[in-house]
Amino acid sequence: MTSRSLNWTHLVACLLVGVTAVLLSFGALVTTYEAAMAVPDWPATYGHNMFLFPWAEWLYGPWDLFLEHGHRLLGAAAGMVTLVLAAVSWRSDIRPAVRWLALAAVGLVILQGALGGARVLLDDKTIAKVHACTGPLFFAVAVAIATLSRRPAAAAAGSLARLPVALLVAAYLQLVAGAQLRHLDATVDPSTFHTLVGLHILGAVAVTVLSVVSAVVVSENGSPAARGWSRGIVVLVAVQMLLGAGAWMANWGLPSGLLPESWQWSEPLRARSLGNAAVVTGHVVLGMLILAATVVLAIEAGAIGGAQAGREAGDGLASGRVFA
Amino acid sequence: MHRQDSPMKVSTNQAGILLALVVAVCAGCGTTPPASFRANLVEATKQRLTPDQERQVATILLAMFGTPDDPVALPETGLDEAKLKLCAGPVRSDIVGRKNGLYREHCAHCHGISGDGMGPTAAFLNPYPRDYRPGVFKFKSTERADKPTHGDLVRILHNGIPGTSMPSFALLSAVQVEALVEYVKYLSIRGETELALVRQYFELDDDAQGKLPETREFLVDEVLTPIAERWNGAADARIAVPEMPADIDMMASIAKGRELFYGDKANCVKCHGVTALGDGQANDYDDWNKAIVEWRKEVGGDKDSDWVSKANRVLAGDALRPRTIPPRNLRHGIYRGGRRPLDLYYRIHAGINGAPMPAAKGTVDPQDIWHIVNYIRSLPYEFDGELGVDRPMVAKDRF
Repeated sequence: MTSRSLNWTHLVACLLVGVTAVLLSFGALVTTYEAAMAVPDWPATYGHNMFLFPWAEWLYGPWDLFLEHGHRLLGAAAGMVTLVLAAVSWRSDIRPAVRWLALAAVGLVILQGALGGARVLLDDKTIAKVHACTGPLFFAVAVAIATLSRRPAAAAAGSLARLPVALLVAAYLQLVAGAQLRHLDATVDPSTFHTLVGLHILGAVAVTVLSVVSAVVVSENGSPAARGWSRGIVVLVAVQMLLGAGAWMANWGLPSGLLPESWQWSEPLRARSLGNAAVVTGHVVLGMLILAATVVLAIEAGAIGGAQAGREAGDGLASGRVFA
Repeated sequence: MHRQDSPMKVSTNQAGILLALVVAVCAGCGTTPPASFRANLVEATKQRLTPDQERQVATILLAMFGTPDDPVALPETGLDEAKLKLCAGPVRSDIVGRKNGLYREHCAHCHGISGDGMGPTAAFLNPYPRDYRPGVFKFKSTERADKPTHGDLVRILHNGIPGTSMPSFALLSAVQVEALVEYVKYLSIRGETELALVRQYFELDDDAQGKLPETREFLVDEVLTPIAERWNGAADARIAVPEMPADIDMMASIAKGRELFYGDKANCVKCHGVTALGDGQANDYDDWNKAIVEWRKEVGGDKDSDWVSKANRVLAGDALRPRTIPPRNLRHGIYRGGRRPLDLYYRIHAGINGAPMPAAKGTVDPQDIWHIVNYIRSLPYEFDGELGVDRPMVAKDRF
């Protein structure tokens, strides 16, 4: 394989997806362990340049410091990879969708970093919620770039494309609703929490229905890749429902009134246990993976970067510039 | 160890900070207001306080107890202000590894910033999270009406309350648990002081012009000190428990306990039911819910439409829907106040403060209480059919 045949945009985009997945997992853990303010200054870490903070203190120090500082380092890494991706895509990839998404990714990563900084400097939960909503959006863009840059996009598929897009939007809104619950301020009243839980459950129902209907429709009319992704999403959503129930039970036990009293656990719940954190964080991370999968499905179904991208890609392939 | 106040390299980071702040403005920063204690509007409205009187109570409490971000512990309370500071305020570290805001991290989502049991999640939980403000705690080693000891609260935090949403905080450090207990006591003393102040308006004479005296003699000596003394004297109110004889015939003891359980003297059967499944009298309320139920009736029968409309607003926004408290199913083997025989002895001897469970003290001999304890501990393992009940009775068969 010669260097000329390498699809650098795709490779860098895949690297960005990987770094971002780890970054978001760290972010989810930061919230689970309420570690966002483990480092009270920003962009410095306890007065040190972020990159020069003693690594031994980071790795062997308190868990919340490990998470928060790790989250910052990963954020910086994601930022740098995004800049490289933008440069590579504008230099070597002629597809407008890829180029503009790469540019959007640069804007989002800067915004996300600034939001993270503002969350710390102002110790503000509202900004934490916005930060938690921008993260998955950036991840979705990174996944879109990686998918679109892989090969010529599928041709637009008319009404077939609407369902995956609706599913994508629902999956994102569900993450937004989840972020409101995760970053809940202790001063809000029970009725607000009640409403948020209701919205999150409605969102779960919407995502489930849309994922099943999408799978049915795509299995009849979609490409083999789209069929595979749509079925995979149904499985992920089913697991996510279990994790959601698990996250509730890990925090508050069995829902009273819904299950027989004899099902109550004889052991008390355990705050800050590993299992508790794994279930709750897993629920968040899987939500982001579902969002990523819906992005791929929407692209494979031709809803994003469809006809136009396909035409541009075809032109590019013809001229030999796409993978140049 | 690094401190927050160590010199930051701001000069190299100015651009980032500026950008962060610009973004913060765009994102709507400052929309999270600083936390404040919520007034006990149920009691204030019940006592028909005027807005000026409500403001006076808030001002006095602010001076005596500070805010959720900056608590104050007067010496008379016996509270350790350093421990309170560890729990107060938002969750953040100022030194590597030292986390402040412990109460908001671990407790406030259920128990509320003010300890009023009205945190965001409260409506979903059954039983509701404890409202600390009346200073009533269920599971303790002291006589029914007395405060829990410091050790009782540590034990609850360490063990959690099985069968409820109250988790075990055994994974927290001893320092953190100690600090949280101190903060719970602080919220409780503050809440009791608020209740006492609100009720004092009822006793004012005409010369007072509807205002409480704001003197140290009144506020500290008359109101605060008696409340704090009850907390600080809790250790002296511990129940004296006779030793269970080491050579006790357990089968005979269980039989005797069963006899007492169904007999008129202990009369456990009245609530826990003939099956001991908790299916006896089940339409009673605990004190927290009963207060709301009774006030609802009072509001319903009042003719003052302005007050009724205010009371209904308060009931809708500052009180949870009352729930009955079912007697415990003794065949589950889940004991909320602790599974040790000693814990069961405390529950039977002193009853459960705030709950319909009465004290056996004075009615049942101390040695007989041990027999009831032994019978209760045998119930999860009593064979099916013995009582003619067609439900799984044995703990191990439940799953």
